[in-house]
Amino acid sequence: MNDLPIIGAALQLTKSWRGRFILAFLAIQLLLPLRYYVAHRDPHDERFAWRMFSPMRMAHCTPSFAVNGAPLQLGATFHEAWNEIATRGRFSVVEAMGAELCRQHPNTPVVVTLKCDYIDRDPQTYGGYDICTVPEL
Amino acid sequence: MGKQKQKKAARRDEAPPQVTAPPPRPVEKPAFWFGFEVSWSKLLAARVVIFTLLALDALLAIRHAPRYGAGGFNVAQLPFLDRLGPTRISYLVGELLNATLFTFAALGVATRFVVPAAAAIYAWLYLGSQLDSYQHHYLVALILLLASFVPWQRPVDAKPATPVRSWALRLILVQLGILYFWAAISKLDPAWLDGRTLGGQIKVGADTLIDVRSLIDSTIGIRAMSNLVVLVELALAFIVWMPRAWFVAAPLGILFHLGIVLSGLEIGLFAWLMIGFYTLLLPDRAWIFLGEELARFGKARRIPPLAAPFCALAALGLAAVTRTDHALAVACVVVAVTFAAAMWRGGMEAVGRAGVACVVAVGLWLVVDRTSAVTTDYYKFWGGSARRLGDLDGAERAYRRMVDVAPDDVLGHLQLGRLLLGRGDELDGMAELHEAQRVAPKDRRAFDEETRYLQAHGRASQPVK
Repeated sequence: MNDLPIIGAALQLTKSWRGRFILAFLAIQLLLPLRYYVAHRDPHDERFAWRMFSPMRMAHCTPSFAVNGAPLQLGATFHEAWNEIATRGRFSVVEAMGAELCRQHPNTPVVVTLKCDYIDRDPQTYGGYDICTVPEL
Repeated sequence: MGKQKQKKAARRDEAPPQVTAPPPRPVEKPAFWFGFEVSWSKLLAARVVIFTLLALDALLAIRHAPRYGAGGFNVAQLPFLDRLGPTRISYLVGELLNATLFTFAALGVATRFVVPAAAAIYAWLYLGSQLDSYQHHYLVALILLLASFVPWQRPVDAKPATPVRSWALRLILVQLGILYFWAAISKLDPAWLDGRTLGGQIKVGADTLIDVRSLIDSTIGIRAMSNLVVLVELALAFIVWMPRAWFVAAPLGILFHLGIVLSGLEIGLFAWLMIGFYTLLLPDRAWIFLGEELARFGKARRIPPLAAPFCALAALGLAAVTRTDHALAVACVVVAVTFAAAMWRGGMEAVGRAGVACVVAVGLWLVVDRTSAVTTDYYKFWGGSARRLGDLDGAERAYRRMVDVAPDDVLGHLQLGRLLLGRGDELDGMAELHEAQRVAPKDRRAFDEETRYLQAHGRASQPVK
């Protein structure tokens, strides 16, 4: 195995801190984007995957929050930049917005619904339940 | 003639010693990484181009500062940073500091310290909040980490052709290859390959220099262009880090990113920054020729330490006329820290250079402030978000600053007028609305606002003063 040039080079790299840094950096950069393709929970979250201008970027979602049954105007609660990220369907942001509303309205159900349209698949609806009880979409 | 003089004369008559190139330094294995070299002139060009673009990008990002920490809500890129994310002021200060550090790096001032410092600030600003969703900022964070290991400083007695060895430069290029690779993989999707995605992103008649969409439609078509993009990205993934293939990679990559600029898909300075990275792919001989030509104009002169106080005053003076929030306070810290560090590390000789670097860095703040809408956007966005989130005191402060820095911008007067009227301050509120009407007599909004207010207060028939 060590006769293969690439294996030999990799072994040589392990002998210095610079080499180990290079190996670690390459491993992270080659494997981290793989996470999107093999183990993602949120198809809209393309961070760290180098998916610039991808078809998923064209997805448009409509998040809606209801506190104790009453629809919430997001613009008065969160900065519009967060609302814009929510319209891209990023679960971690929508969930954090829900968690923030749960903190602001203790012991009150906060129902989060995320409806998304795509250019390459049927529309999807996520959530639709009290996010204070089930904190993930 | 004394013996000493005879010896000197004999030495003069001797043939001049053979000038031989120093033996090449041994290359640590694997040579792919540790033997990677570029000419000093190319490294210098890359340093100037890349760090200048980053300094501009940092200053242009200031307009987004008001969204950070607004409403006390934040979601970081890494969960443990949620509470450590930047706020409006810390983001603004961070970008001002980064612009300064990038300018210092472009000028070659203390690059061993300023590049890692800029990398740390940049990483915090990026990783501290998902508000920054730009993938190119993630790329820059990685490149800055690697750039911290590049010997950007001029080697002793370096000529334009002097080779500089750097494994980190090779890794930067490989990182670009990895980016292209994954970008191509993400497009191996029917929705991209059949042209739907690109067609949805490049619109006909977009506000661009040339109508790229019409050009594509009338030549190869959007479907073929989509496939071509994947092929170009795949090709660049494998040749961007390979010096023997740079004669293909450089024109291909530059044209590709220029196409992105022209298509209107440009985000921030991403495409320009990518073009900036291609300085490393352009032929060494071109940079060496340029370096030798520039060297004819004479060597850079030493800056006398006596110039330092004048430079400090000039930098503070420039900061004082920069309209960016907190510019003077940040400039005071920058000047003090830079001079202290220069005295400590380089003595009086370094102080003169540090002074000039401060003047150039703060001068760039002023140039961007006065030639772009960054400052007015900053106050406009701050006022808008504070108003929407119910922070009326903050909104008033922002609009008052906006009126100060841009007295001819109707929006500041209009919003301040609305805000003051809403708080019951009729006299000042009306004065602001009247100022808005004077600044933009064809803009109906201030007139409508006044009419609405008077009607609501039962004075609809009162003439508008």
